Amino acid sequence: MRDDRAARRVVLTGLGIFSSIGTGAEQLVASLRAGHSNVKPITAFDTTGFAHSNGCAVEGFEPENWIRTVPVDELGRASQFSVAAARMAVEDAGLAEDDLRGRRCLISIGTTDGESHDLDRLTAMDVAGGPHAMDPAIARRVPAARLSNAIARELGLSDVEAATMATACSAGNYAIGNGYDALRVGDADIALCGGADALCRKNFTGFYRLGTIAPDRCRPFDKDRQGILTGEGAAVLVLETLQSALARGARIYAEVLGYGLNCDAYHPVAPNQESVAACMELALHDAGVKPYEVDLISAHGTGTKANDVTESRAVRQIYGSQAPPTISLKSMLGHTMGAASALAASACALAITHGFIPPTINHVETDPECEIDCVPNTSVEAGLRVVQNNGLAFGGNNAVVVLARYPMEATT
Amino acid sequence: MSVTAVEAGTPVITGWSAVSPFGVGRAAFVEGMLSGRRTDTPAGEWDGAGERACLVPGFDARETLGAKGTRAMDRVTGLAVTTVGELLEEYGGTRTPEPDPETALVLGTTTGSAQSMMSFTRASLTGAKPFHVEPAVIPNSVMNCAAGRCAIWYKLKGPNATIAGGRAAGLFSLVYTRRLLLTGRARRVLCGAVEEYSRARSWLEFHSRGREHSVLSEGCAVFQVEPAGQVGGTPLAAVLAVDTRVSADGDPAGAMRACVNRVLSRGGVEPSALWAACPSNPGGAAGAAEREVLTTMFGRAALERIPRTAMAGDPGAASVPFQLASALALAQRDPAPHDRPVLVTAADPDGAVAAALVLLLADGAR
Repeated sequence: MRDDRAARRVVLTGLGIFSSIGTGAEQLVASLRAGHSNVKPITAFDTTGFAHSNGCAVEGFEPENWIRTVPVDELGRASQFSVAAARMAVEDAGLAEDDLRGRRCLISIGTTDGESHDLDRLTAMDVAGGPHAMDPAIARRVPAARLSNAIARELGLSDVEAATMATACSAGNYAIGNGYDALRVGDADIALCGGADALCRKNFTGFYRLGTIAPDRCRPFDKDRQGILTGEGAAVLVLETLQSALARGARIYAEVLGYGLNCDAYHPVAPNQESVAACMELALHDAGVKPYEVDLISAHGTGTKANDVTESRAVRQIYGSQAPPTISLKSMLGHTMGAASALAASACALAITHGFIPPTINHVETDPECEIDCVPNTSVEAGLRVVQNNGLAFGGNNAVVVLARYPMEATT
Repeated sequence: MSVTAVEAGTPVITGWSAVSPFGVGRAAFVEGMLSGRRTDTPAGEWDGAGERACLVPGFDARETLGAKGTRAMDRVTGLAVTTVGELLEEYGGTRTPEPDPETALVLGTTTGSAQSMMSFTRASLTGAKPFHVEPAVIPNSVMNCAAGRCAIWYKLKGPNATIAGGRAAGLFSLVYTRRLLLTGRARRVLCGAVEEYSRARSWLEFHSRGREHSVLSEGCAVFQVEPAGQVGGTPLAAVLAVDTRVSADGDPAGAMRACVNRVLSRGGVEPSALWAACPSNPGGAAGAAEREVLTTMFGRAALERIPRTAMAGDPGAASVPFQLASALALAQRDPAPHDRPVLVTAADPDGAVAAALVLLLADGAR
């Protein structure tokens, strides 16, 4: 039973965004509207020997512009993304550092790979010169908790729960759900939730070996789709109770209506239709909405053969033939791993705020096995009330978040 | 006090098991921990930075779990799958339960298996082609592998979470567990943390901690947690309060003091009523601050009531689970701590500070 305190409403009041198609909410909106992507050969590591190696990197990232307290060289690239995105989100929410210090905060950053890019570098040093040759400064950056606790150090927060959600490619949604619950049960007054990951050899090699890296572009739900493009970036969302947001006159992007979590308990890497459908049902039930009330689904939509068929069948299982538009943001952002569902949730909130449906780009012909409308190639103006954001992951870790316009009756 | 006096919804521990340097299972932990025997052994063949380590004796996932499904299983996953199996067998009577959507699994970690990750990259760097890697080990290179495999092994279809929190991971898991129960997202949570010994971890710790580097330990402990008022198992302990912080301003003692004061206040417990304090003792500045705060607040005797044998060596993410298991093991043999609160603390050199106030229940000894 939830007590009265737990029944409080939770809203999203700040966004910090680093992605291959834009820094900050404004740039992301422009790219999503225009259907942009930014696919280039990967330079984060030596790709010699791979037949193809396109990816979606964050270009021109200058962490020093955002990170003022923590020495930047104490942070790996994923932590630099998370800390910079947290700074941006807090500023976007109109919160001063002193406002945060007087409140109990939760910091929950999701990730797939943590600082695996640094582990890759340490491995190369080990291969070349033995274990004594590893750089201690890089070794100190490895613990995955740093993606979250470095944000606390940067913002000077001590009365804060800061841990990293390491649930792979749905970790961003897990983190948002964690923040939602922490606010509702009274464990926190402000939650900084999201996800961060950096391109790395380990991750790319794994997906490449599984035959799931597209050679050129990512084409979710297309009959000729060939897989994912690995990407990087971060999104941090400021969540607070409606009461708190109204009291300080904050701008509200969207309300978090609820979320669902479950586990396939089926296969280490392959998704399971029944379980994905069950997770969507859990989320809709938690959010208190019926399927017909949902205006848009942001699919996990990786662009692999297996995911897109399984996921669109799960959507049909819950929504029948009346499924709302079901898009893949990964067609534009690439698969940013632990950041993916946090960036997607941010995009959903912005779609609600700005009244449009982002497209699924690179689309030529829908796979007849994917019986959904993926809004091919061109964004559509649309007033959105309720949006569902799917996150699926290795380990069968499913997490689905439901967002809504606030106030619900407002028009855009 | 019995569990009926504990506020409804409070997380109650109704079972536990461990795979530790004392061996596999709860009985081995209780016996070994109370015997006070040392567990460090020569670890030269591991090619790590240290010559000795506290290893789970003879542990091999294939031997413990059988050949099916274990060919590519890494050590950290094997430790977790074995521990959860021990727990389910002891308290559920079977290792092969029916699919269960109401049981969650929450596992703490530092960085998953650094060994699996680095071995995978090594294969990519040294193979004839960079993609000449073993596909079966790809899932091992992601931090949620152990929790995901436990779910498959035991059909646990509820929320499945992996939380990276270093030496405080076990307390972050407990906070998250409490939230899952309070919000009704799970009826029962299997909550713990796991750490493996490996060459990779040994060298990472060596380079990270310099002169503070100590003998490393490994293992896993998992607790069955249910909400008071809806408890199915025998109540062993109630988690009265948990608090976590970051020593953001370089004052780990201040953060620890604040954490301890908050859990005492939330639990309605006077410092003098505390039976024991059990620190994580990670060494270095964080460990010194933890010890100083607890000694000042509760006196040296309170820190010595729970033997530290299970915490010999540095168990990494398994620190808190081993501390909590030690308190429960003692309560199983000795009536002195019954219905008395104990404090479990954690101080991670990376900045996390955490404390839990736990009431050991007399019911558990029956």
